[in-house]
Amino acid sequence: MNRLKRGAIIVSLVDALREHGSWCGETNIQKAAYFLKEVACVPLEYSFVLYKYGPYSFGLTEDLTALRADEVLELKAPDPKYGPSYWPGSMAEFVKSQYQKTIAAYAPKVEFVAEKLGSKTVTELERLATSLYVRRKIETGSEQQWATRMHELKPHILVKDAKVAIKEVDEIIDDARRLAAT
Amino acid sequence: MAKHIHEIRDAVHVFDHLDSEERKVLDSRPFQRLRHIHQLAMTYLVYPGATHRRFEHSLGVMELADRVFRTITAEENIDNRVRKHLPRGDRLTYWRRVLRMAALCHDLGHLPFSHAAEKELLPKGMTHERITVDIIQSSELNDIWQNMEGPLKARDIAKLAVGPKEYPEDYEHPDFSDWERVLSDIIVGDAFGVDRMDYLLRDSLHAGVVYGKFDQYRLIDTLRVLPGNQDSETPVLGVESGGLESAEALLLARYFMYSQVYFHPVRRAYDRHLQHFLIEWKGKNGWPTDIDGFLQLTDDEVSVEIRQALLDANHPGHSNAKRLTDRKHFKVLYERNAADAKRNRQAAKAVFDAAKEKFGGDKVEFDNPPQKQSGVEFPVRLRDGRIASSMAESEVLAKLPIVAIEYVFVAPEIRDDAEKWLELNREQIIAAQSVEGDEQ
Repeated sequence: MNRLKRGAIIVSLVDALREHGSWCGETNIQKAAYFLKEVACVPLEYSFVLYKYGPYSFGLTEDLTALRADEVLELKAPDPKYGPSYWPGSMAEFVKSQYQKTIAAYAPKVEFVAEKLGSKTVTELERLATSLYVRRKIETGSEQQWATRMHELKPHILVKDAKVAIKEVDEIIDDARRLAAT
Repeated sequence: MAKHIHEIRDAVHVFDHLDSEERKVLDSRPFQRLRHIHQLAMTYLVYPGATHRRFEHSLGVMELADRVFRTITAEENIDNRVRKHLPRGDRLTYWRRVLRMAALCHDLGHLPFSHAAEKELLPKGMTHERITVDIIQSSELNDIWQNMEGPLKARDIAKLAVGPKEYPEDYEHPDFSDWERVLSDIIVGDAFGVDRMDYLLRDSLHAGVVYGKFDQYRLIDTLRVLPGNQDSETPVLGVESGGLESAEALLLARYFMYSQVYFHPVRRAYDRHLQHFLIEWKGKNGWPTDIDGFLQLTDDEVSVEIRQALLDANHPGHSNAKRLTDRKHFKVLYERNAADAKRNRQAAKAVFDAAKEKFGGDKVEFDNPPQKQSGVEFPVRLRDGRIASSMAESEVLAKLPIVAIEYVFVAPEIRDDAEKWLELNREQIIAAQSVEGDEQ
């Protein structure tokens, strides 16, 4: 998948997240892209590592920068609390028009992730995405093991909150399976 | 009696300090090799003073990392909202030493002339950062870590040296705890990494340009570990509001150094010739990655080979050796510009494709280094203790442009013809949008 094709999917993700009330800062996009890849199985080819607010792709950041340079996305209206947010730029419609089939193919999955994550705060997204990351790393672990590991990596995530996040991710994974089966 | 603390004169920081245990790292074979790796590859062919090496840069990074560590862990500077993330007592002492050694060793895996041709010369999946990790964990250095007070774990040093972006995922325990991530950000972080602070100051000094200067003293004095945002307890390197202007100056320095020095067209052209030469000489994936073989090759060996290739018309790198030595480097035919980019985002690529078709692939080069984001988001602690986003507090940061450079280079012998051809065909080439679209 080339950069502009990935960019077209990211722009459609930004649109969908906005429709579901997301602030659409970089953290919102990073976590949504992580779920898009790991849960909805969209082949975004980004590699995610654990970073400030959970799984993070440096490759996605590079793509976001390139998309801004090409005016496919733009950063707007910094808010003291939430920071800047991403909006479609002047070239967004052109790129989307070039990749209509790609966007249509992944639209149900993009909508699914946006619906699940669009209303979440950065703190909630950090818990959910870290929970998914940890269970991907310890595939045969138990809820207790996953929650303990989350707390080890991120001491501000309490074990009880980690368990709540693990349950929510379970539900998201189940819903994604149902979506894939339809 | 042996001297316990050693001072080394530094053109940027006046003195770098290290103790006798740390001195053993300095005197080791992997570190001494850095005396023979130019910090800025062949930039000295454009800026003659830029002949400094990774050796002194690495010492400078250690000195700055230590200053940042002492600032952020000073009792009066610890923000209670993130206090639980900071170790205390002996653990704090341990991590200070680990950070210093990671900073000192962060560049050990650089190939000769730094970044040139790394991707093509190393096997798939191998990077200079991975080699850095391997050298830090080699028995040669591990013996030193084991004898240091602690003792130090090689893996801890390696993780901080390269950070979460580059630490190999297939190595043991690749995930970073929040504390490890904060410490690695002190070295390689996008906002306040001291690797960048040192290279901006040092490159600026040696290249003889003033763009890279900023008030490092004020900036470091105001760095803090802060909650990532007002609602978060995630620890992130940030700054007191009083240091925001020096943070702006750092990021402006980065912007100007990229646009004026690192992406200078002649420098980029020489980089291309050097890359081609190295591949012609060693072959794709031809660089040794075993530690002994790797450590034997420096800029010196490459320079000797260039001289030999210059004298030997049958050497596979003869042509590029001539271009490097006789200053017959490729010249700019076309450069990305706002007016053309507004009409066609792929204008430079379109010019390259058309020029290649017209003049042949060996006479035309396309150079499009990754765009560099200039504004960076980090937490700012306001006077009343609230946390705000740097991009909201600083209009300068919010509006810093992205450094986006693209060059089409042509061989000097066809430059005049190519310029005339482009003048005649520019409109037609740029008018054709070249996005590949769904069908490709």
